[in-house]
Amino acid sequence: MSWSTSGRIFKLGLVNFWRNRWLSLAATLVMTLTLLIISIFAILTLVIGKTTDSIRAKMDISIYFNDSATTDQIIDLQRQLAARSDVKEVKYISKEEALAIFKEQQEGKKVAEFINPEENPLPRSLEIKATQPEYLDQIAQYVGQDESKPLIHNVSYQENKTIIERLIGVTSFIKIIGWVFSAVFVLISVLVILNTIRLTILTRKDEIEIMRLVGASDTFIKVPFIVEGFLYGFLATILATILIRIGVSVVSPLIERYLGIDLSYRLMRFFSGNFLTIVGLELIVGIVIGIGCSLISIRRYLKT
Amino acid sequence: MINVINVTKQYGDFKALDNINLKIDRGEFVSIVGPSGAGKSTLVKMLICEERPTAGKILVAERNIAKLKPNELPYYRRKVGVVFQDFKILPQKTVYENVAFALEVCEARDIEILDKVPKILDLVGMLKRKDNLPHGLSGGEKQRVSIARALIHSPKILIADEPTGNLDPVNAWEIIDLLERINHQGTIVLLATHNKPIVDRLKKRVILLKEGKIVSDRIKGGYVI
Repeated sequence: MSWSTSGRIFKLGLVNFWRNRWLSLAATLVMTLTLLIISIFAILTLVIGKTTDSIRAKMDISIYFNDSATTDQIIDLQRQLAARSDVKEVKYISKEEALAIFKEQQEGKKVAEFINPEENPLPRSLEIKATQPEYLDQIAQYVGQDESKPLIHNVSYQENKTIIERLIGVTSFIKIIGWVFSAVFVLISVLVILNTIRLTILTRKDEIEIMRLVGASDTFIKVPFIVEGFLYGFLATILATILIRIGVSVVSPLIERYLGIDLSYRLMRFFSGNFLTIVGLELIVGIVIGIGCSLISIRRYLKT
Repeated sequence: MINVINVTKQYGDFKALDNINLKIDRGEFVSIVGPSGAGKSTLVKMLICEERPTAGKILVAERNIAKLKPNELPYYRRKVGVVFQDFKILPQKTVYENVAFALEVCEARDIEILDKVPKILDLVGMLKRKDNLPHGLSGGEKQRVSIARALIHSPKILIADEPTGNLDPVNAWEIIDLLERINHQGTIVLLATHNKPIVDRLKKRVILLKEGKIVSDRIKGGYVI
């Protein structure tokens, strides 16, 4: 096929798009909405998944000891733990170190001044890192055994675990909602685009009849409608990407204001880091829906 | 060139064409006449491969067009020009664009389009009005555009289905005159018509159809029902 032929076919597709421009606009907007919803849920799932992963990687067990426990006993437990194959690192934190960390965290605040080295209420602790986050469970169980129990004031593992489980719960909930919403909107855009292309076929009825009579090849009769379907997907991808980009810059300051977390940098980095994935996903979904609908309409409404 | 052999076309119980046999040679001008419902349009549709016969063969240049595959159809249609009573020209395109369109959708090169379209428009006498839109044209002019479009692929056969049906006598005669000139250049012209004065004056071969059958086939005939 020559360049001028492809050019003419593409032009016919553009003419299709333009002749029913309001309808084309509606089809493009519905498709944009669909892509937006799919992308937003995909991004949410990815972001939460990544957060869960990073929290899980940082997760450790801290054992806080009663003041009655002797340093020997603690060192002994540290040695036992370090000998385990599932433990990566065990770090002893003395009262002084605990105070230093606390002061650093609370710097400039009044609380820091109330605590002085002579009357240090902070407990000594062991910080345990596992080789794999999954091993933390069995390590925590080992620590909780009877012999060391009187020494231990508190084990911090349980609290972290609840947060992680909650996050995982939220992720799967968002995934389900995402699938449902995406499916509904894919269905809506399929219906709208099917009808749009059906109408283009009807408005071009005479032209198609003439094309047949003068011996136009099938490519010339059918491909313009495929071009039209492609255009819906393509334009919707551009629109959806722009909207997401705007959305990210509008939403992150809000998150910062209400939740006190500065996400804007992370969100922006995530957006630009995964730009190709996002656009690629949108483009694939958009074009598959657009071209798929064209093919269905051509088969159903274009008699050959 | 055209050889219709034992062709029957049936729609349900109704026989639109009933065992037709017909032979048309290169360079002939043939009028097909008969009352409405006699089967003229069915025969035309069969010859441009829009409908396929229920039984029988239609040989065009020794090839049975009833058996053409869908992908061969476009190439056959480029060899056969058709003109209709309602012109079938696109209202939003100019005279030039209407004719050029027929070449554009058949993968013609731009240079070929620039060369052929003015020549054909000149042949049908429409070159001066090439930039006009159809709504400003008379019926006769529209039919000329339609004939130009039918001729653009230099077909061996030109089929005209009631080409004068929407025209006044003067315009009708001009169109028939044009068809005769095209026939003189060697193209087979098949004219399906109701118009008695035209057929009487043409003094060419006339085939009379009635209830799906060929009732008479006369060289230099007139219109008799």
